[in-house]
Amino acid sequence: MQRMVANPRLRKILRGSASMLLMGLLAGCLLPPEPKTVVGRDVFNLYIVVLILAGIVFVAVEGFILYAIVRYRRKPDDETLPEQLHGNTKVEIIWTVIPTVIVFILFGFSMATLGKIEARSETPGVVIQVDGFQWNWIFRYEDGPVVEPSGNEPPVLAVPVGEPVRLVLNAIDVNHAFYVPQFLIKRDLIDLGNNGHDNELEFTITEAGTYAGQCAEFCGLRHADMKFVVDAMERPAYDEYIAALASGETPPPTGGGECTTTVEIKANNTQFDIGEFEVPAETDFCIAFENQEAIPHNVAIYDGGEAIFTGEFVNEPGTITYNVPALSAGEFRFICDAHPQAMVGDVTVTE
Amino acid sequence: MATTTLEPRASTYRRSWVLEWLTTVDHKKIGILYIANSFLFFFAAGILALLIRSELAIPGIQFLDQATYNQAFTMHGTIMLFLFIIPALSGFGNYIVPLQLGAPDMAFPRINALSFWLLPLGGLLIFSGYLFGGAAAEGWTGYAPLTNRAEGVGTDLWIVGLMLVGTASILGAVNFIATIFKMRAPGMTLFRMPIFVWTVLVTAVLILLATPVLAAGLIALFIDRNYGGSFFDPSVGGNPILWQHIFWFFGHPEVYIVILPAMGVVSEILPVFSRKPLFGYRAFVFATIAIGLLSFSVWAHHMFTTGSVLLPFFSFMTALIAIPTGIKMFNWLATLWRGKLILATPMLFALGFLSMFLIGGISGVMLASPPIDFHVQDTYFVVAHLHYVFFGGSVFGVFAAMYYWFPKMFGRKLNEPLGKIHFWIHFIGFNLAFFPMHQLGLDGMPRRISDYSADAGWTLLNMLSTVGAFMIAVSIIPFLINVVATFINGEPAGDDPWEGNTLEWATSSPPPAYNFDRLPPIHSERPLFYLTHGHGHSAERPDDLERDAEDDPERRDGLA
Repeated sequence: MQRMVANPRLRKILRGSASMLLMGLLAGCLLPPEPKTVVGRDVFNLYIVVLILAGIVFVAVEGFILYAIVRYRRKPDDETLPEQLHGNTKVEIIWTVIPTVIVFILFGFSMATLGKIEARSETPGVVIQVDGFQWNWIFRYEDGPVVEPSGNEPPVLAVPVGEPVRLVLNAIDVNHAFYVPQFLIKRDLIDLGNNGHDNELEFTITEAGTYAGQCAEFCGLRHADMKFVVDAMERPAYDEYIAALASGETPPPTGGGECTTTVEIKANNTQFDIGEFEVPAETDFCIAFENQEAIPHNVAIYDGGEAIFTGEFVNEPGTITYNVPALSAGEFRFICDAHPQAMVGDVTVTE
Repeated sequence: MATTTLEPRASTYRRSWVLEWLTTVDHKKIGILYIANSFLFFFAAGILALLIRSELAIPGIQFLDQATYNQAFTMHGTIMLFLFIIPALSGFGNYIVPLQLGAPDMAFPRINALSFWLLPLGGLLIFSGYLFGGAAAEGWTGYAPLTNRAEGVGTDLWIVGLMLVGTASILGAVNFIATIFKMRAPGMTLFRMPIFVWTVLVTAVLILLATPVLAAGLIALFIDRNYGGSFFDPSVGGNPILWQHIFWFFGHPEVYIVILPAMGVVSEILPVFSRKPLFGYRAFVFATIAIGLLSFSVWAHHMFTTGSVLLPFFSFMTALIAIPTGIKMFNWLATLWRGKLILATPMLFALGFLSMFLIGGISGVMLASPPIDFHVQDTYFVVAHLHYVFFGGSVFGVFAAMYYWFPKMFGRKLNEPLGKIHFWIHFIGFNLAFFPMHQLGLDGMPRRISDYSADAGWTLLNMLSTVGAFMIAVSIIPFLINVVATFINGEPAGDDPWEGNTLEWATSSPPPAYNFDRLPPIHSERPLFYLTHGHGHSAERPDDLERDAEDDPERRDGLA
């Protein structure tokens, strides 16, 4: 009796919630952004398949729970016991098969898409080394200019549309992750030293435009500020942009500029050759750093516990010039991040 | 009825209330200490969560600077996992497992006390970073080389505190395993053990195998930081990926350490409040064991975006876990099917567990697909997923256990209307807080950021989430009022307020120090059910049962 009453009503509820879920999907609920790369579309399609499977499981199970709560709720004065069902092998085998089938479908689709993501073209349109460091990015174009961050604006990674873009992801200090939500992909930057090589990421952008990206792997104090912008442009515009970059025109890279003040620091025997230096306030300056041994060293400047400048590591004998942004007057420390106890000195910034 | 009327007990020699609790080796008192301690840490870490959510409610840095924010989420994650969920479930295990086995205590009562007392000590050490220039701020996963290079003693205190907490877990696990294998009452065969005991057993094995790996990693990290080691820092020849392998080789079994006992709690409650046995008891046990085994082969799915792991293998093994988990879900649903459901508060939390854990399970299967993971890894989608598992799953399980076993522990029932108010605010607040995070993650909001830009389009969903977080906090108020009011003037529970199936309901509430005056015969996983409802439902012949009981003096006298 009751079953006949309850069933149609509940079926209606179930059908209602199923169509609501569908409508939600159509309205863009629980969807990633519209993909702007070729493989991004494959990921998006895979996601849709998975979401539909998930939606079916969700509606079926939650629907059954609601059904059971309504249909099998005990009447207030009903003291009798329901039938004591202990199990049913046939049913149990069937419901072992159901998740197994779902899992295999999911795995098959995933592997097919994974193959496309991992595919590498013979002739990428551009190869760019992405240096991630606390807490910004440097983009080094193969045989081309270097884009360094300047001011508070996130650095711009200019790339051509419609050609494979290959990024070599190089961590300067701690782990970072290169992530552009509209490309539906991310990959970690991890410094593996001699234990491996840098990750690579390749994608082909389908539409010109600017896409916001940011570091997705927690990397310390200012992780939230570690942003960048991908500026995808048609090939001619791209060539023009890169030529301008290379000749130091707009947008002006801060690197390679003239230094009014240069401090020379050498490292050997896990020691700096100087214990202190002095620079003028509110002026950019350079540090000419020479590492004289085969142990990685760098120079970083700290204000208390907070790194305000972190120089790239020099892993073997060699020199590098750091462009250090202006400091306000005060006392700071310079240290080698690899040997913070042994290699440390004072920086005095004077008015 | 299964009630056991106890004669007034011979009073033991008197000592002060404080000394009694500080020196107790009674598994029941230690269990209560575990639970009380866990809830203190729950409130502390909950306040941190409110700080995090308040900061994220709108774009811009409001009142937490970046350093404080990073400490807040690191402490929130560490404390919630290591000092709330795991110890709370261990506390219920401590209290309930010996009772469900018909045992007088845990196998090693003094080790039991030690493994409890290490917890507040470890927790305070972890927190004490705040007194010494700032707590650890590298995330609860403590990734290298960030953690190697982090300045300040807060991170060292975090490492040492975690070592103590880990040691406590290992000691506790040994104790549970010994208790379950050696202390079962006559007739309590392995396949007559309550499911909760099974899940605690599998959990204990996972702890015993996984936690020492974490301890080793923490020691290596400590050496790296303080004594010039080079395990994880690439600038001195170490390998940062090694830390991730070590951490997650512990960290994924840890997920099941956190969820399995909660599954056990739910598997106790659903049958009692459906008035039916758990559907497919044996399948459920095997599914639990299968999850435990598989949990050791899936750790690298946390590392898909590192480019350093074999994606197809770990993806496949991860997806396989969906099968035993799916079996469990079907078993629970079939337990409800044609039952007579009593929607008391423990049942509400158990049903809440089913419906919320389902969502965490589904998003888990989605994350098992590497291409999808590449998009949502380290975003709020993962934050949503893990909260649906840990909070929608484990914490709902903790509250279900609280409402279910409170009458046994204190002899009084928690108030039902207040319990239902608690459940509904909790349930709605939880979904409001965490469901929008799925969309935030899909939109690309990374986790662990202290700020986001106003034009990112994440403001509304973040605001919703913050409102939900405060609702959860509000829901704790009726719960606390309920606990206090029940202590003052609660409805006496009697021995067996829920018509339970398992042995803990066969003794008084609260049980005497030695647990049982006498034990009912044990011929199935529901000894009390057959005692109450006769043997008509049993597979065994009634006369056998009665003869067993008569002929067995050991059982007649209990184990005390």
